Amino acid sequence: MPATKTAPPAKKAGSSPLLSLWKAYNETTSTRLKTIDSFLVFLMLSGIVQFLYCILITNFPFNAFLAGFASCVGQFVLTASLRAQVNPANRNEFKEVSPERAFADFALGSIVLHFFVYNFLG
Amino acid sequence: MPLAYSLPSNLSPATVTNTSSLLRIISLALISGAAIASRLFAVINFESIIHEFDPWFNYRATRVLAEKGFYAFWNWFDHTAWYPLGRVVGGTIYPGLMATSGVIYNVLHALNLPVDIRNICVLLAPGFSALTAWSTYMFTKEMKDESAGLLAAAFIGIAPGYISRSVAGSYDNEAIAIFLLMFTFYSWIKALKTGSAFFGTLTALFYFYMVAAWGGYAFITNMIPLHALTLILMGRFSSRLYVAYSSWYAIGTLASMQVPFVGFQPVRTSEHMAALGVFGLLQIVAFAELVRAHVSSKQFQSILFGSVIGIGLLGALAFGGLTYKGWIAPWTGRFYSLWDTGYAKKYIPIIASVSEHQPTAWPSFFMDLQFLIFLFPAGVVLCFRELRDEHVFVIIYAVVASYFAGVMVRLMLTLTPVVCVAAAVAFSSLLDTYIDPVEPEASDAAASPAEGTSAAGAAAAASDAGSSKKAKKAAAPDPGVASGILAAVAPSGSGPKSRGIFGLDTRGLVVFNALGMLLFFVLHCTYVTSSAYSSPSVVLASTNPDGSQHIIDDFREAYYWLRQNTPEDAVVMSWWDYGYQIAGMADRPTLVDNNTWNNTHIATVGKAMSSSEEVAYPILRKHDVDYVLVIFGGLIGYSGDDINKFLWMVRIAQGVWPEEIQEPNYFTPKGEYRIDDAAPATMKNSLMYKMSYYRFAELFGGNQAVDRVRGQQVPKTGPTLDYLDEAFTSENWIVRIYQVKKEDPLGRDLKAANAFANGKKRKKSKPLSRRRAVA
Amino acid sequence: MRFLRTLLFPLLALTSFALARSSTGDSVLVLLDPSLKKENYSIFFGDLEKKGYKLTFRSPKDTTPEIIKDDVAQFAHVVVFAPETKTFAADVTPQSLVSLLSKNMNLLLALSPKQTPLTSLASEFSLILPPPGTPLISHFPKRDTPATLIPVQPPRAHHVISDNLAPVWFSGVPQSLGHNPMLIPLLNAPPQAFASDADSDSGADALVEAAEKSGEGLWAGSSLSLVTGFQTLSNARATWVGGVEMFSDEYINKEISKGVKSGNRDFARDVTAWTFQESNVLRIDSVEHNLVNETLPGETYTINDQVTFTAFISKYDPEIGWWRAYSDIDDMQLEFTMLDPHIRTSLPPVEGEPGMYAVTFRVPDRHGVFKFNVDYKRKGWTYLTSTSMVPVVPPQHDGYPRFLSAAWPYYAGAFSTSAAFILFVALWLAGDDRELKKNKGAKAE
Repeated sequence: MPATKTAPPAKKAGSSPLLSLWKAYNETTSTRLKTIDSFLVFLMLSGIVQFLYCILITNFPFNAFLAGFASCVGQFVLTASLRAQVNPANRNEFKEVSPERAFADFALGSIVLHFFVYNFLG
Repeated sequence: MPLAYSLPSNLSPATVTNTSSLLRIISLALISGAAIASRLFAVINFESIIHEFDPWFNYRATRVLAEKGFYAFWNWFDHTAWYPLGRVVGGTIYPGLMATSGVIYNVLHALNLPVDIRNICVLLAPGFSALTAWSTYMFTKEMKDESAGLLAAAFIGIAPGYISRSVAGSYDNEAIAIFLLMFTFYSWIKALKTGSAFFGTLTALFYFYMVAAWGGYAFITNMIPLHALTLILMGRFSSRLYVAYSSWYAIGTLASMQVPFVGFQPVRTSEHMAALGVFGLLQIVAFAELVRAHVSSKQFQSILFGSVIGIGLLGALAFGGLTYKGWIAPWTGRFYSLWDTGYAKKYIPIIASVSEHQPTAWPSFFMDLQFLIFLFPAGVVLCFRELRDEHVFVIIYAVVASYFAGVMVRLMLTLTPVVCVAAAVAFSSLLDTYIDPVEPEASDAAASPAEGTSAAGAAAAASDAGSSKKAKKAAAPDPGVASGILAAVAPSGSGPKSRGIFGLDTRGLVVFNALGMLLFFVLHCTYVTSSAYSSPSVVLASTNPDGSQHIIDDFREAYYWLRQNTPEDAVVMSWWDYGYQIAGMADRPTLVDNNTWNNTHIATVGKAMSSSEEVAYPILRKHDVDYVLVIFGGLIGYSGDDINKFLWMVRIAQGVWPEEIQEPNYFTPKGEYRIDDAAPATMKNSLMYKMSYYRFAELFGGNQAVDRVRGQQVPKTGPTLDYLDEAFTSENWIVRIYQVKKEDPLGRDLKAANAFANGKKRKKSKPLSRRRAVA
Repeated sequence: MRFLRTLLFPLLALTSFALARSSTGDSVLVLLDPSLKKENYSIFFGDLEKKGYKLTFRSPKDTTPEIIKDDVAQFAHVVVFAPETKTFAADVTPQSLVSLLSKNMNLLLALSPKQTPLTSLASEFSLILPPPGTPLISHFPKRDTPATLIPVQPPRAHHVISDNLAPVWFSGVPQSLGHNPMLIPLLNAPPQAFASDADSDSGADALVEAAEKSGEGLWAGSSLSLVTGFQTLSNARATWVGGVEMFSDEYINKEISKGVKSGNRDFARDVTAWTFQESNVLRIDSVEHNLVNETLPGETYTINDQVTFTAFISKYDPEIGWWRAYSDIDDMQLEFTMLDPHIRTSLPPVEGEPGMYAVTFRVPDRHGVFKFNVDYKRKGWTYLTSTSMVPVVPPQHDGYPRFLSAAWPYYAGAFSTSAAFILFVALWLAGDDRELKKNKGAKAE
C-alpha cells in the first residue's frame, strides 16, 4: 500500500505526516500483511496500466478491458478483504471469521471471479 | 419470575431444542405445501395451461431451449416475431427463467422421468414460491428470530400480492425472481453480519442469477448501495461492510455483464452508477480507516481532509464529464416514469398503455395484503427500536418499495416480501409478549401458530360461518390493539424480559384475537386467490343461469383455427397484446408482440388499424400481412377488447405520424368516445371499427344491435369491407380474423373491383361519361 | 417460395398436354352469336384447328357446355364473338368472365359499336370506349370502301405482332387506353382516323363538343387502339378486338391493293398465338440461393455473407410444344428486400449456361427477414415474379472476431492477475506453517 500514499495527500499535507505514516506502517505491520500489501500494490499498478491503455490508446474490445480491469479490481478488493479479516487488529469485528476461514473465502471468491473474467475476456 | 401458566419443567434443554427444530422443519414443510397448494386453483378450476401473454413467449422460448439445446437458444434469432425485422431473442431476454426450466427438464429426463415441458413451466412458479417462503424465513430469522421467520414464511406463502404473479401457469420472470430477490438480500445481510467474503460471493452469484432472470434486478443494484451508503453516513462503517460490499460488487458486476441483454450497462448507464459510486466511496473510506490506524489523529485529519475533497471532486467531475460525452447513458424513460407518474403518458404512450404500469389504487393494497398492510408500519417501527445494520436495510427497503408500489401496480410485487417480513416481526413480537412468560419457549410456542396458519390454509373451507364472524369482529379493533401492543412493548427495551402482563384473561383475549386475524387472513387469501388471481385470461369463465361454470374458449378456438387453416408463413397482424399468444398458440409470424422494443413498428400497426381501408391496405401489403386479427367483446361484454384499447393505438400512431392520425378526430364534437350513429366519420372508417362491427348488426336479425361493452346502439347498416375478407369469427365473436385480399388481377383498386363484382354500375369515374350519341 | 409455387404449379400442370400448341391447353370454347355465321369465319377457325386446338361452339345464350363445372375450368381459352348480343347466359356475365381470367383462362373478346354488357366489362380493363354507335372512320387513304372499313398498318418491331405484315382491314370501334400498365396495344388506329357516327360526318361536332367538355381530347389519332391485349397479374391474357369482322373470311380475302393480300390472316394468327399463350410465354423454372462456394441452399444467412442467387428461366416454344431454356433477358433485376429493397442489382444471364441467371452480392449489415424478389414485367411478355424468403441473422455469439491484437494488455493483465493470485496462494500456504509456529510461539510466550 505505501506506494499509493504519495499521490493525493502530497499537495496538502507535506512530507512529515507521510514520513510518520510510513514509519508507523513499517513498525506495526506483520510480514504477512506486508505480503498482502505487496500483492495489492502489484494489482493496483496493473489496473492503472490497463486503465491508462484504455483511455490513451484504445478501448475497442471493451469486454476485454472490462474483464482485465475488473479482474484487477476484483482481486484487489478480495485481497483487501482478506487483509482486513486476518488483521489481528480487526479480530473483534470478525468474530465468526477465522483467518483460515477467511482464506478459504478469499480463494473461493477469487476462483469465481477468475471464472467470470475468462468467460468475459474473449 | 412468576409464570402466568405452568410449563412442564421436566424437559431437558436438548429435548426442547430438538423438538423446536423438528417443529420448525414440519412447519416449513407445511408452509411450502400451503404455498404450492394455494397456487393450484388455476389448474383445478381450468386446466394446466400457460396464462396471460408474456408467459406464452417464455414457454415458447423454453420449448426451443428444451428441444434444441442451450447454444441454439443463445443464438436464437426469431424470424417470426416482429416480421420482417425479426428479433434476436438470445440478446433481448433474461434467460434465467428458461434456463431454470431447461435444467429441471433435463434433470428429470436424466432421471427417466419424462415430464412434459409444459407441466414444468406451469408448475415452476408454485415450486419457487415454496423456495421463496424458505428464503423469507431465513431473511426474517436474521431480523428477529425463527418464530418471526416462520410467520413471515407463512405470510409470503399465501399473500395475494405475491400469488397474483405466481399462480400455476403464470410462467413469468417474476415467478423465480422474488425467490432470488429474497435470497440475495438474505445472503447480503448474512455477509454484512459476518463480514464473510463467502457470503459476499454467494450474494454476487445470486445477484447474477437475478440479473439473468428479471429486469427488476436494478432494484437490488440500487438497494444494496443505498443500504451501504446509509450505514456509512450513520457512521457505521466497518470492515465487515467493506468485505461484504466489495466482494458483492466486484464479482456481481462482472457476472451481470455476462448476460447479453445487460451487456455493458453496469458501467454505462446511470441506473448502475450508484453502486459504482458507493464502491469507490467504500474504497476511500476503507483506505482512510487504514491510514488512521497508523497515524495520529491530527495528521490523519489533515491527510483525510485533503484527499476526501480531492477525490470527491474528481469523482463528480468524472461522472459529469462521462455523462456529457455520452459514455454513460442518462436515465431511461422507464426510469423517469417511476418519479413522474405523468411522464410516460406524455412521452412514452406504449409504457403508459400497459395496465400494470398504472399507479396503484388504494383498495388493491388491502386486497393484496389484507391485515399485513397495517401490521407493516408496526414492524418497521420495531426495526427502529433495535436498529442493527440489518434493520436499517428493512427500513430502507420498506420506504423505497412502498413508494414504488404506489407508483406502479406491478411493483406491488417487490413490496410484498418486506411487508411480510415487517408484519411477521410485529406479529411475533406481539405473540412473544403475550404467550411466553419464559424466554426459551419462544420459538416453540410461536412455531405452533405458524403451523396452525398453514394448516388452516387447507382447513379454511371447513371452518364454519360462526367462527369467521367472530374473527371478523376480532379483526375490527386490530389497529387499536396493535398500537396498544406497541405502547406496551416500547418501554420494555432489550433488557430483562419483564413484560408486565399478568393474568390469563388478558393473554387469552389478545392471543385469541391474533389467531382470529390469522384465520381471517387465510380465508381472505384463499378467497382472493381463487376468485381474482387464478384466471388464465386465455380461457374465460362465466356463469350459466343455473350457476354452473361456462368456459369461454374463443381465444384458443381462433388460434387453433389459424394453426390449422393458414399456411405456415402467413403473417398475422394484431395489436401487440396478442403477439405472444399468436406466436405461441397459432405458431404464425406476427408483426408486433409484447416485447415492445420497436415503437415505430407498433405505431405502424396502430396506423393501419386507425386509418381507412385505402390507407391501411398499402401498409398491410408492404408488411406481407395475410391475416388481421381483432378482439371484439361487444357481443358478450368482454371489456378488454380492441375497441377499448383503440385510443392507445391512435395515440401511439399519432406519436409517429402526427399529420395523418389525430386523436381528436376519433371523438365526437362533444368529446365523447362513441361507436353508434353519432360516431365521427374517422372512427367509422377506421379499419378497427370496420373489422369489429362488420356484419355485427345482422346478428340481431333486424332488431337494434347493442354493443354490450360500450352499452351503445350499433348502426343498423354496418360497415363494409373492400380490402379484407372475413375469414373467421369465433363462437362468442371475441376473436375475429380477416384475410387481406390480394391485388386485383386486373390492376383495379379493390374498392372498384368489389363494386364491380357486386354488379354495381361503375360510377362516373371514367373520363368520358356514358352518354348517348347525338344523332 | 409461396408465390413461386402458385406461379409454377398451374403452368406445370397444364403443360402436360404435350400436344397442345398453347402452353396452357388446347380446348377452346367459342361463344359465337348466331347472327355471325360460322362459315364466314372458316379460315380463322380452320387455322386454329390446324394448330391443334379443339374448338367447341356455343351460343351465348345457351347454358351448355358449361365453362366451369364443379369449380373446375373446362376450357383453356374462351373466344367471345358476340359483339351484338345483349343478354348472355348466367355464366358469361361480365363478372364471371373476369373470374375466368383469375382461373387462368384466356379470353378473346370482340366489341362492336353497340352497347352490350361487354362494353361495360371493357371499362374494367381500363379501356375507354367511345359512345355507342360511333365506329372508327377514316377518309384516308382514298379508296372505294366505306369510310368505316379501314386498312390499318400493323405495328413494326412489336414483340407480339410479326414484322412486315401487310395492312389489315378493320371496321369496328376504337378504344382509348387508360393508365393501366397491363394493357398492350396490338393494333393502333391510323393517325387520320377518328370515331364518329357512321351515317354522316355531321355528328362529329357532337363528339368534339363532348370531348372538350370532359377534357379528354378527341376520339381520334393513332393513340386509339383497335386491338388491345391485356395481361392480368396472374398472367392470364385477354384480347379486345374492336371489330369481329377482322377475322372474317371476307376481310382475310379482301385485297389491300391490287395483288396484295391483306394481313388479316397473319395478324389473326399472331393475336391468337399471343392470347392463347403460345408466344411470349416465359417462366421461372426454379430459383436457388446459396452461400458462395457452397452448393446447398442456405436456410438462413448471416449478415455480410456473400450470397449467390440463381434463377432458371425458360420460354415456351410452340414449335415443339415444350419449354426451352431462355437466356435473352438482359434487363432483369433482383431485389433483396426487407420492407424496402436493401439491394437492387441486375440479374444477368450466365454465359454458357442456357437459361441460367445469377448474381452474387454481399448480404447487407442488417438482420431480419429478407426476400429475394424477382419482378420482371415487360409489356407483352409473361410477368416473371418470384419471391423467396430467408432470414438474415446476426453472427452467432462465437462468430465475432476474438483475441484481437489491440487487447493484448488486457489479456496480459488478466493472466498476470491469475498468475499472481496463484503465486500469492502458494506463498500464503507456504508461509502458513511458519506463521502458525510463530503464533504458537507467541502464544507459548
